Amino acid sequence: MDVQLSVNQDQHPITVDTRETLLDTLREQLDLTGAKKGCDHGQCGACTVLVDGRRVKSCLALTVTMDDREITTVEGLADGDTPHPLQAGFIEHDAFQCGYCTPGQLCSSVGMLAEFAAGWPSVVTPDVSAAPHLDEGEIRERMSGNLCRCGAYVNIVAAIGQAGR
Amino acid sequence: MTDIQVTSPVRDGVGASAPRPDGTLKVTGEFAYASDLWMDGMLHGATLRSPHPRARILSVDLTGALKLPGVEAVLTHEDVPGAKLYGVDHADQPVLAIDQVRYQGEPIAVVAADHPETARRACALIRVVYEVLEPLTDPRRAALDPSYEKVHAGGNVVRHQPIRVGSVFEADVVVTGEYEVGMQDQAFLGPESGLAVPAEDGGVDLYVATQWLHVDQDQIAPCLGLPPEKVRLTLAGVGGAFGAREDLSMQIHACLLALHTGKPVRIVYGREESFFGHVHRHPALMRYEHGATRDGRLVYVKGEIILDGGAYASSTPAVVGNAASLGVGPYSVPNISLDAYGVYTNNPPCGAMRGFGAVQACFGYESQLDRLAEACGLDPVEVRIRNAISEGSRIATGQIVDMPAPLTSMLEQVRDLPLPEGVSTDLRDLPGGVANSTHGEGIVRGVGYGIGIKNICYSEGFDDFSTARVRLEVIGEEAAVLVHTAAAEVGQGLVTLKAQIARTELGVPNVTIAPADTQVGSAGSSSASRQSYVTGGAVKTACEAVRERLLELAAKKLSHDGLALSGGKIVSVSGIVVASVAEVLGDDVIEETREYRHRATAPMDQLTGQGDAHTQFAFCVHRAVVDVDVELGLVKVVELAAVQDVGKILNPIALEGQIHGGTAQGLGLALMEEIQVAGGLIRNPSFTDYLIPTILDMPPMRLEILENPDPHAPYGLRGAGEPPTLSSTPAIVAAVRAATGKSLMRIPVRPEHITGT
Amino acid sequence: MRPFAYERATDVRSAVATLSERPDAVYLGGGTNLVDLMRLGVVSPEMLVDVTRVVDATIEESAGGGLLIGAGVRNGDLTADPLVRGRYPVLAQAVLSGASGQIRNMATVGGNLLQRTRCSYFQDTSKPCNKRRPGSGCPAREGDHRNLAILGHSSSCVATHPSDMAVALAALGAVVHVEGRHGPRTVPMPGLHRLPGDEPDRDTVLEPGDLITAVELPELPFATRSRYRKVRDRASFAFAVVSVAAALDVADGVVRDCRIALGGVAPVPWRAELAESALRGAAATAAEFGRAADIELAQARPLRDNGFKVPLARNVLVGVLTDLAEAR
Repeated sequence: MDVQLSVNQDQHPITVDTRETLLDTLREQLDLTGAKKGCDHGQCGACTVLVDGRRVKSCLALTVTMDDREITTVEGLADGDTPHPLQAGFIEHDAFQCGYCTPGQLCSSVGMLAEFAAGWPSVVTPDVSAAPHLDEGEIRERMSGNLCRCGAYVNIVAAIGQAGR
Repeated sequence: MTDIQVTSPVRDGVGASAPRPDGTLKVTGEFAYASDLWMDGMLHGATLRSPHPRARILSVDLTGALKLPGVEAVLTHEDVPGAKLYGVDHADQPVLAIDQVRYQGEPIAVVAADHPETARRACALIRVVYEVLEPLTDPRRAALDPSYEKVHAGGNVVRHQPIRVGSVFEADVVVTGEYEVGMQDQAFLGPESGLAVPAEDGGVDLYVATQWLHVDQDQIAPCLGLPPEKVRLTLAGVGGAFGAREDLSMQIHACLLALHTGKPVRIVYGREESFFGHVHRHPALMRYEHGATRDGRLVYVKGEIILDGGAYASSTPAVVGNAASLGVGPYSVPNISLDAYGVYTNNPPCGAMRGFGAVQACFGYESQLDRLAEACGLDPVEVRIRNAISEGSRIATGQIVDMPAPLTSMLEQVRDLPLPEGVSTDLRDLPGGVANSTHGEGIVRGVGYGIGIKNICYSEGFDDFSTARVRLEVIGEEAAVLVHTAAAEVGQGLVTLKAQIARTELGVPNVTIAPADTQVGSAGSSSASRQSYVTGGAVKTACEAVRERLLELAAKKLSHDGLALSGGKIVSVSGIVVASVAEVLGDDVIEETREYRHRATAPMDQLTGQGDAHTQFAFCVHRAVVDVDVELGLVKVVELAAVQDVGKILNPIALEGQIHGGTAQGLGLALMEEIQVAGGLIRNPSFTDYLIPTILDMPPMRLEILENPDPHAPYGLRGAGEPPTLSSTPAIVAAVRAATGKSLMRIPVRPEHITGT
Repeated sequence: MRPFAYERATDVRSAVATLSERPDAVYLGGGTNLVDLMRLGVVSPEMLVDVTRVVDATIEESAGGGLLIGAGVRNGDLTADPLVRGRYPVLAQAVLSGASGQIRNMATVGGNLLQRTRCSYFQDTSKPCNKRRPGSGCPAREGDHRNLAILGHSSSCVATHPSDMAVALAALGAVVHVEGRHGPRTVPMPGLHRLPGDEPDRDTVLEPGDLITAVELPELPFATRSRYRKVRDRASFAFAVVSVAAALDVADGVVRDCRIALGGVAPVPWRAELAESALRGAAATAAEFGRAADIELAQARPLRDNGFKVPLARNVLVGVLTDLAEAR
């Protein structure tokens, strides 16, 4: 099928098999290998990208459903040569080791902070009907869909906490 | 060797939290992991694996696969041109199964096709007729029952290592326990991958995520029937390792397919395949009996540790060596009778994972120390202090600890760290968070301690060395250093460290790390917490040689005696700068290659286990604070505190990350991680069913890092990556026991073990 | 994954018409479960009809004083909605305790209800499974079933329903709006999901072509005092071992009314009707909550390795109700 894919504000008219996931399209067709295939079943978060500003797992999204959506990958987070504050924060706090989960962590945290700014609660929000307060507990719960096997979690919390302030 | 000391500080040298040279690439998505490699015209490989843990292969029919359009090669063991077997320790594993399979997932055939999906479909079209046999899955029988059927003709015991010390096995206080450790998976996030490219000389170039390029080369080349120099490896980006990349996975398969088709072949495992495609942590069955005086001083330890190595040997011999030699922990024990076994079964093959052998034993002996404390009415820290080794003590192998071993002060230090506030009234802080927690009174706080002792570097007489090539030249009017080793950066930050060492030793800020490959000598494995020590030592030594030559050159060019290198400048005896490094070098290039070896170790005696088997010991102490919802079986680890002696801090932030990460993996083993195997079959090969800790499971950490230098090691450093993986597990389980009163003899602990139903 | 055709529905009626004619076609919502099952080979539809752009994705107050939630509402938006959070906190909590933020942003309300079981035998096409391949057998009964059902299972299937959201909806007595071949109809919850009996391949009472268009929450003022609690094997991002959704109406220490459902214990979101009737008019005490839980769980038929779920479910249920009784 023909799909008009908009990724990091570049337009890509492409032809895809209906079976192709957004993750595979990004990696195999558009040479955007930042999003990673850690499990291909939505269980690890390494493939996280932003679709219309919301974080999603690109391994579970079919590319054919994505035309007229705006997709942002880790390659599109920086503003030209200026890294996104979260990218700078991850380096400053050494919030990764092998780095394989990092593109997903970054896209997820961008989306998460937007959800937080919009007042979305989490399951650890004391009163689900009230506005949440961004503390470490909230960061941890909201980022729990992104596994990091190196266990850089302590530093990830610090990096996101700094960027979220 | 020069005795010149570089005293002037250099930015981002040894001791600084220097940023990772690959950090920017990793946060922008540009860092090329093995699975990201791509070449025009490359083919995709797939592997047909056995669904049975034990079967005879009666026939293999490739017809259907070969007919599938897009398929370019379908290979079986008959297509392996050289040696048919390989192995990291000894060659017992077929490249592709020969007439029988010994574990579920054993590779039988490999396919190369124009699309990964085509390759997978071709695998499905291969017809294999099996005679399915009853799998041999009982490690205790494999170890102790000579009548048990054999997985390999040579018998089921891969290694039995006894420890025999003293003869007094009676004491006033005796505590016993039978412990069990489930099979843990390394679960790195970047599945096995590599790209093999056939070369014009008939050889092959392999780009792969691995832990030890040269040991891969040593195993691949014979199977391909090629001399080692025709099998050239380059390290591709590694998405975590933790031991699972110490053994080969897709390496030989990709090379076979590339050589057979004459085209580049990439193989990338999926997550499920990854669970079958690498070795795991040995599950363990352990029996301990500790005898002590009434005041808690150990008189003897009897122990039996059975480690299930599964179908092939992998690192089992070394795992057994660690479990035996460190099996009583960092304690002075005058009488020991301990037997460690590593056995073959038809369970999944097990091998290296962070802290191997020592991790399993640590859960056993630390659980025993807590039982002893209880039996003697002592505080768990006090009972450890009364028995802890110190510098000059002997460990179980009779080896004298000839380096600082300040366990007593480490235990006191971790005990005296401030405790987190009492059981929180904030529902968000309770186990399971606000939506899950029982109201206050169901929550019980527990505190537990654990100590681990880990051997650093390869032991038992292994010729353990690393090689570094350091090149100093002028690039763009500035002195520049290129450091080339074959050491695998797996996330631990070794590339950062190598650059820091070069900066410190040569005073040159501009350091580049060349890609790791086999064009330089072996660096040994990125395992056993050894790379800072051994490759760090090699880089340091090579830099020293370069420095010596630089000063010779300076003396010659400047006709000046007594020159030294300081702060990146050539200085006179009186400290006056006489030239810059670049001025001295001009068009000259200085390049030196050095091998670095740690001091020799000795094998363990086969009957008594005695011998100076280890070159260095490292210690970590953990204190775990948990809140347990005793009604729901939920555990929240509130805080983990660790005191670790690293000899010398080379990079504070990277070191802290290693301790965090090792601790997290120990937390996983304590509370959730287990590959469930039934009848030789893996029941949970996915991240839905094999759970690793999320960021919510990992609590804040309090770290105290000590620097008591090991006089034998470069900079006095100690390996740091593994020790926290040992001690966090027993500390957490001890804390849960303290909260619940349950005995918790098996890890991982599950909710039903806590609710006791 | 087998090849399939993809069609983007232009309106609900034509989507229903398409599926009514093509038994090999399925609806595509967020895809978080369907795409995964297709990749595993568990399902192999020949056509996907993408309904995400035609099914209503708004939340509004219903004529009956409740809420009408479009089936296309993403789980993330559901949990962000002030009306849901204020009036039915149990629903927001249930959805928030499921999956991850990323998946909740993709998954739809309709799709969440139709999730398939996470029983490992169902997911593994190399194994028999009566739900996936009727008549092939159920290895879970004798095999790995630690996390499978203790209630409502049959000799042919012991799977559990994986949804957290559905447990809250079952407790609240939500009504599912369905567009079918013969027009719109409603299906009350519980009742959408069916017990396996000897037809475990049918998870729900829906007929071919049926499309869930909305979920209606009844007016239930006391649902402001409601809660979802979930026990799982790690702190987050894991399916329930046992979960409880409950709402409690207490006055003067007496239970006037309540709604209770259990998750992780049955092939369906399990409405605890016996416990509810035992509690109406009873004292709002832990002892009475325990008695009610025992009455409900007397029906439990645990398997070899999941007996722990019976007392665990009791403890969770008593804990939730006690908390609710004490809440202001």
